[in-house]
Amino acid sequence: MTDISKLAELRKLMLGMERSIGLEELSAVERDVYYAATDLAQQTTGVRTTGLLSHALMQDVSRPTFFRALKSLVTKGYLSQSATSRRGVYVVNPPAN
Amino acid sequence: MSAKTFAIEVIVASSFYFAASILTFEILMPVQDVFFPDFQSSASLLFLPHGVRVLTAWLLGWRSIIALLPGVFLIFYYLAGDNVFTISRLLAIGVAVCTTPIVFGLAAKLGFETRPKPNEDPCWPCVMGLGVVAGIISGSLTNIAFGGHPLEYLAFFIGDVFGLFFLMLGTMLFFRAMRHRQR
Repeated sequence: MTDISKLAELRKLMLGMERSIGLEELSAVERDVYYAATDLAQQTTGVRTTGLLSHALMQDVSRPTFFRALKSLVTKGYLSQSATSRRGVYVVNPPAN
Repeated sequence: MSAKTFAIEVIVASSFYFAASILTFEILMPVQDVFFPDFQSSASLLFLPHGVRVLTAWLLGWRSIIALLPGVFLIFYYLAGDNVFTISRLLAIGVAVCTTPIVFGLAAKLGFETRPKPNEDPCWPCVMGLGVVAGIISGSLTNIAFGGHPLEYLAFFIGDVFGLFFLMLGTMLFFRAMRHRQR
């Protein structure tokens, strides 16, 4: 597990806590997209849209819903466009950014 | 795992442990003395380092023993000076670094796996529950090592549980604030 993914795991744990105490701000689809991105980020530094779309958590999510959730996650700061790669590659933001 | 990654784990985990301990002993305990002047004890009722121990053990597993050891030793040295090498303190250091990963490891062996896994939603109440169990065990063992009064044990336990909860709450609020700042 990389340093970033450890932060991501810690962040996932804390998101669960937020959800339990009623501070959740992500929809179910947004949360699944974020978790899928977290999983993929353990293998590569940037997460591709195509990789996210083929993730097991996205099997029952339509493309329009997926892209709406992806855009929302970028807006909310959970994901950001990779500065070093072309479009369609995202970085899972470590909390210290 | 590379040596560099391991060194980063050790530095980060030990630094957080040391910082949480300094916050506890230099700020929270003086405040505790003001609000509970009759409670004369070496135990903090809000022992944040237990939260660091639990989250580190959850994330790193057995590696947390080595990752936390420098931080735990430094804080014992900070508090006790050269007396850190007494048997009771060396035992307490061992208890501090070993108990939580042993609890997580035993729970996993018994089929109650809580450590992070891909494609799984982590269960924070489970992590906290095992942290409470670790608090009960480490509080008992620390009290045995120092030969304290049973009331001290209760104080260690309360401190560990409150420390764990408030450290997790603080971490959650920190991540939340960071997200809001990124918008």
